[in-house]
Amino acid sequence: MDNYQASRMRKASHGRGLIPPCQVACPLHMEIGEYVDLVAQGKVMEALQVIRDDNPFPSICAYVCTHPCEDACRRSQVDKSIAIRALKRFAVEFGGDRMIQLEAETTQSEKVAVVGSGPAGLACAYYLRKLGYPVTIFEAYSELGGMLRVGIPQYRLPREVVDTEVQRLIHMGVEIKANTRVISLDLLFDMGYKAVFITVGAHQSLRMGIEGEESPGVIDGATFLREVNLGLKPSLGEKVAVVGGGNVAMDAARAVVRLGASKVSILYRRSRAEMPAGPDEIEQALEEGVETMFLVAPTKMKRGNGRLSVTCVRMELGEPDAGGRRRPVPIEDSEFNMEFDTLITAIGQAPQISEDFRLRLGRGSTIQVDPVTLTTNRTGVFAGGDAVTGPATVTQALASGRQAAFRIDDYLRHRYPLVDKEAEETLSGELLPKTIEMIRKIERLEPPLLPPKARAKEFKSVELIYNWEAAVNEARRCLRCGMGAEILFQDKCATCLTCLRVCPYHVPYLDEGGTIQIPADQCQACGICVAECPAKAIVLRKPYDRRHIDEELEHALKSAAESKSKPLIIGFCCQYGLFGTGALASLWREGKAGIWIVPVLCVAKLEGGHILRAFEMGAEGVFIAGCGEQCSRENTAFWVLQRVERIRRALSQIGLEPERLQTFNLRATEGDTAEALDNFTERIGELCLASIIKQEVKS
Amino acid sequence: MIVAEQKPLEEIRRIIAPYERVLLLGCGTCMTVCGAGGEREVSFLNSALRVAQAKSSDGIHSFSEYTVKRQCDFEFLDSLADKVNEVDAILSLGCGIGVQVIAERFPDTPVLPGVNTSFMGMAKEWGVWDERCAACGDCRLAETAGICPITRCTKGILNGPCAGTKNGKCEANKDMDCAWILIYKRLERLQQLEKMRRYYPPRNFRVIPRPRRIVMKADVEPGEDNG
Repeated sequence: MDNYQASRMRKASHGRGLIPPCQVACPLHMEIGEYVDLVAQGKVMEALQVIRDDNPFPSICAYVCTHPCEDACRRSQVDKSIAIRALKRFAVEFGGDRMIQLEAETTQSEKVAVVGSGPAGLACAYYLRKLGYPVTIFEAYSELGGMLRVGIPQYRLPREVVDTEVQRLIHMGVEIKANTRVISLDLLFDMGYKAVFITVGAHQSLRMGIEGEESPGVIDGATFLREVNLGLKPSLGEKVAVVGGGNVAMDAARAVVRLGASKVSILYRRSRAEMPAGPDEIEQALEEGVETMFLVAPTKMKRGNGRLSVTCVRMELGEPDAGGRRRPVPIEDSEFNMEFDTLITAIGQAPQISEDFRLRLGRGSTIQVDPVTLTTNRTGVFAGGDAVTGPATVTQALASGRQAAFRIDDYLRHRYPLVDKEAEETLSGELLPKTIEMIRKIERLEPPLLPPKARAKEFKSVELIYNWEAAVNEARRCLRCGMGAEILFQDKCATCLTCLRVCPYHVPYLDEGGTIQIPADQCQACGICVAECPAKAIVLRKPYDRRHIDEELEHALKSAAESKSKPLIIGFCCQYGLFGTGALASLWREGKAGIWIVPVLCVAKLEGGHILRAFEMGAEGVFIAGCGEQCSRENTAFWVLQRVERIRRALSQIGLEPERLQTFNLRATEGDTAEALDNFTERIGELCLASIIKQEVKS
Repeated sequence: MIVAEQKPLEEIRRIIAPYERVLLLGCGTCMTVCGAGGEREVSFLNSALRVAQAKSSDGIHSFSEYTVKRQCDFEFLDSLADKVNEVDAILSLGCGIGVQVIAERFPDTPVLPGVNTSFMGMAKEWGVWDERCAACGDCRLAETAGICPITRCTKGILNGPCAGTKNGKCEANKDMDCAWILIYKRLERLQQLEKMRRYYPPRNFRVIPRPRRIVMKADVEPGEDNG
């Protein structure tokens, strides 16, 4: 591997596939479709590998990612989006992320300093180590993690998760300098660092700018969460108000619940629809007993008799502002008073950049950078994360850290930036109503949550992990956007209209010129047209999908030939759903004499040639096990049976008993399948014996 | 479109028996559309023949496969010359026309038919084909409301229906529509029922001179009057 950065960009498992919207929406551009598909096959370790390829800290994202991918998921046009983040959490936990050890060699001499150990800083250090640079992280607080540590409460992100990732970085050779506030960048350069990445976050709470904000009992959200997260237990009293509608306000309110306040109210000047906090966060806060007061804004605060008197004004929503949210307008003469013990302000945060850094600042005191190279006004100084964007998400910070590492690499290597080129085409377009109508509706499975009562007592993680069955079933809902069928050989196409007639989703159509079109944005990648096209002109866009059955079959035939056990039975089994791990796995484990399993990604992709090939290579019997009506695609069983009938006819013309080809529906309980399979094996044994006797008699 | 059906495997095995190296040759036009001899069928047949050979343990054949865009024109066959040199026979999955064009193009190689060319017709739905035209050379569809009695009436009568029609179905096959009832209903719908009242004299199909040839090009000598 000459260069990690270049090698990372070269991978293209997509082939002619189009980049699905989830991947486009992800700040890290993770191959979401890929790992969701692997989870659906029960291949969690492979799924984790795909995740780790693009994400330095998947365990962190698995807890706190705001999953813009789910917002972009086209399944939401059918029923509900795929629960991508929860599936990632499943892959991380079941795939054994904790066990992964990372090593990194130092191959470069230029030292790089990372100022700030938030997600952007950690990600930058991670990738710089991968690129072979000596890296030092400077952190002002005693513990690493930045907002991961002092901003996000434990019930959303357990501390062990951050600890594990930090330990992994130390193992990779990252030097850590905690309790070290960087006061001058010149000093860093004097110490021999050749490049500096500034990622100090946005820890400074914005002020409301109203009378009495300095009163005792008023505390800002960032400070409050920092204290709580560093293990302090601020005394708050019984009645607490939180002002604001973002994630920090939610986190603060839910932390207050856990600290034992009897009443927590969120005051927000707009309505629920405009709240910037994640819908799940809001939902969970409400479940835990947090009260909300919408269209209310404090205008004055006064401390007296040990309590805080807060004057509020009611608001109404006016015209939308530049950001598209409706602007709150105070209603005249609507002031009213409320009393609280404590009021927490959480109306936004900004970075606090030391003037001594001599960096050019922009709007909201953020550092001004070139969006592509992340360079600042000072040579060798790069910046990213919240310090540049203002408060944003963890995943955005990770992406910014990764980008910074690669641009620092380019800078130190005196190279023109190897900027990701938009070489691959992205999938766009909505699903058509006629396509949606035909797509099987399958309910989204949410991961279980701790019951609200149990949550309110402690800072334990609220969300639990999927069990195996739920995860696999959830992953099977993926529509495989952009991975569908295409007419690869237009010159072969006889315009026979077979694809148009067999497609369960009415996707192929004849254009005005009389040419068949298979629009990529509608295709569900079921593979039926691919297997039926009489001209063999249609292929699935992803190379792996095309070769998969051939390769698995040849592998099974080879293994069978080596083992020489008889009678040889080849079983084509659907790898999706639970069958990849349930009934099928037990077949594998028991290693029944002479039964060889060929995993297929939906039996509808199985072609006649595959089955005949098994017989040609000596199989005495062949069975096909699919999931029947439980399949997430339409009509798959029908087409398998069509092909089976066809082959049975051919078998009988050859002089072989048609019953040598059997289909099983693995939807039936495992016991039934096992019994049916036993009967089948027995019968094949008999037929095999009979044909041997016949041969003997003949000769 | 020409519709055909693949011959039974036994028959194919019988006719290729004398030849060791056989080229299975598909056709990318009608035979692909009717599912009798496109690339997929060629490869399916190849697999089936291999299985048969493996199971009967008298393996002497070696098969190769190829599909041309159209077998019924010499130009499409030119690219085959090298492949043909390496085989002892060609099993054509083209229609009867394809088989003959190949025979004409490759005079030294035996050509065998792999399909039974059946009729000219249309796909009723996926996997179902119906005959529609008998190529009688004297189209009467204008009088019969676009429904051909020669093809679709069991008797092929020009003045129907006969007495064998019952509930709109044919006496020969009660699942088959009576073509003349269909004609009547459509004429009624088009308000042209008077066409039913005319008598069409019977036609003598035996007088069609075979093989037929159609000549479009005019017999002209360049150079005299017109350039």
